[in-house]
Amino acid sequence: MSEGLSRDVRRSVWRRQFLLQGCWNYEGMQNVGFTYSILPALRQLYGGRPEEMAKALKRHLEYFNTQPSMAGVILGASVRIEERIAARDADPRAIGTFKVGLMGSLGAIGDAYFWGALKPMASVAGAILSLVHPLLGIAALLLLYNLSHLSIRLQGFAAGMAGEESAVQYLKGAGFASRTMDRKIVAAILGGAWAGAAGSRTAILFGGGAASWGFFLVSVLTVHLLTVLFRKAVSPSEVLLFLLIVGTLILLQ
Amino acid sequence: MGWQFVLAAILGAIAYLDRTATFQLMLHRPLVVATAMGAVFGNVSAGAQVGAVLELLYLARLPVGASIPPDDTGAALFAGAAGAAASSSVGLDAGSFTALLLLSVPCAELGKVVDRLVRRVNGRIAALTVEAVERGDSQAVEHGLFAGLTLFALAGMALSLAFTGAGVAAGKFLLPRFGPESKADFAALMPILPLLGAASVFSCSRTDRTAPVFYLTMMMVFAAILFFRWAG
Repeated sequence: MSEGLSRDVRRSVWRRQFLLQGCWNYEGMQNVGFTYSILPALRQLYGGRPEEMAKALKRHLEYFNTQPSMAGVILGASVRIEERIAARDADPRAIGTFKVGLMGSLGAIGDAYFWGALKPMASVAGAILSLVHPLLGIAALLLLYNLSHLSIRLQGFAAGMAGEESAVQYLKGAGFASRTMDRKIVAAILGGAWAGAAGSRTAILFGGGAASWGFFLVSVLTVHLLTVLFRKAVSPSEVLLFLLIVGTLILLQ
Repeated sequence: MGWQFVLAAILGAIAYLDRTATFQLMLHRPLVVATAMGAVFGNVSAGAQVGAVLELLYLARLPVGASIPPDDTGAALFAGAAGAAASSSVGLDAGSFTALLLLSVPCAELGKVVDRLVRRVNGRIAALTVEAVERGDSQAVEHGLFAGLTLFALAGMALSLAFTGAGVAAGKFLLPRFGPESKADFAALMPILPLLGAASVFSCSRTDRTAPVFYLTMMMVFAAILFFRWAG
């Protein structure tokens, strides 16, 4: 952990990372949010040196974008680099190189883990359990997602605060690739269960019996066709709008 | 009714802030939002029912980089309020359930347009922040961020009022205009909606390893439900 900054400042920087996207924009993306997050550290490091403070702020107002839950790693490490810059122990350009070097790969890792694996897993678990009780479903969704989300924000920031090398070691050791795959498998199992339950409900509505397996095949083909469409960048909204038009035509008949 | 819309606007603003600008604790997910709207407008289970299906529908669109997925929070605000308004003592009928899920699509697309607009205005706020910092005003960063947050919150509040208002109107005035036969016809589309959700989950999690797992689980659950129904 950094010894130059007070505990209050470190806590303040950690808390502020939750507002990283507070002024998200197309030009600088998370630039204002990142600068806001690191501001308490800069104020302590450059107190009484307004010109250096202004230069530091401008450094962080450059374009920045990464997966928000992974930003703690870069934020923590940036605080450490700023400490060295303030002590005239490092080139100010080092911070830009570090941030640009890491934000793309952290964005890719974070997008795959959080949006591509953890969120679908938590969502489908929540949807299934909400059939038992709505509050159970909501609790499952929030707990499954946030246990991992908040621990990564905490651990990532701590690793960053221990230095750039520690941040890189954390990313290597955290096993994001295997964690992503594990959650994708759980999401696939739960998604399959959801699809099986939905297909069987339709089969039962139409009387069950031997024809049920025909309904199963239709369900499999429907899921497969829709998955192919989504992979070809067709939006779920487009499919739903198509169904709305079909429904309206049925009503007008 | 007035206090219900005030509450819906406050909860909606919190959900929209959670969606992009702040915490991202998943308070903006359709299951949470639609259930909350169901509670506000008088029927929790109707809200949760539509929320569970909506939760999965839009997962296939990821908020990667600068891309903005459809606004499933807005769709949940509409569908949760509409579901509660349209439900009777026996719950929500299949035709109304299908209709309001499909009618929520324009809300999802409108919310996306507003989100894009807010981010464009934020671009101007960010530019002003940079100019102020160049003049030596370090507090401009905090002011810029809070201006962005306020904009996200106000847009969320306005959308929440519009979508819940439209939802209650659809539930109370539009859906009752259709008779039981029309609703039964419309309900023919219902089986595809949960499968659309499953496809959305599968398209996120699909790899060489997960594809057999998905279809095998689907078959086992399908067979188990039919078996227990036959045996019981």
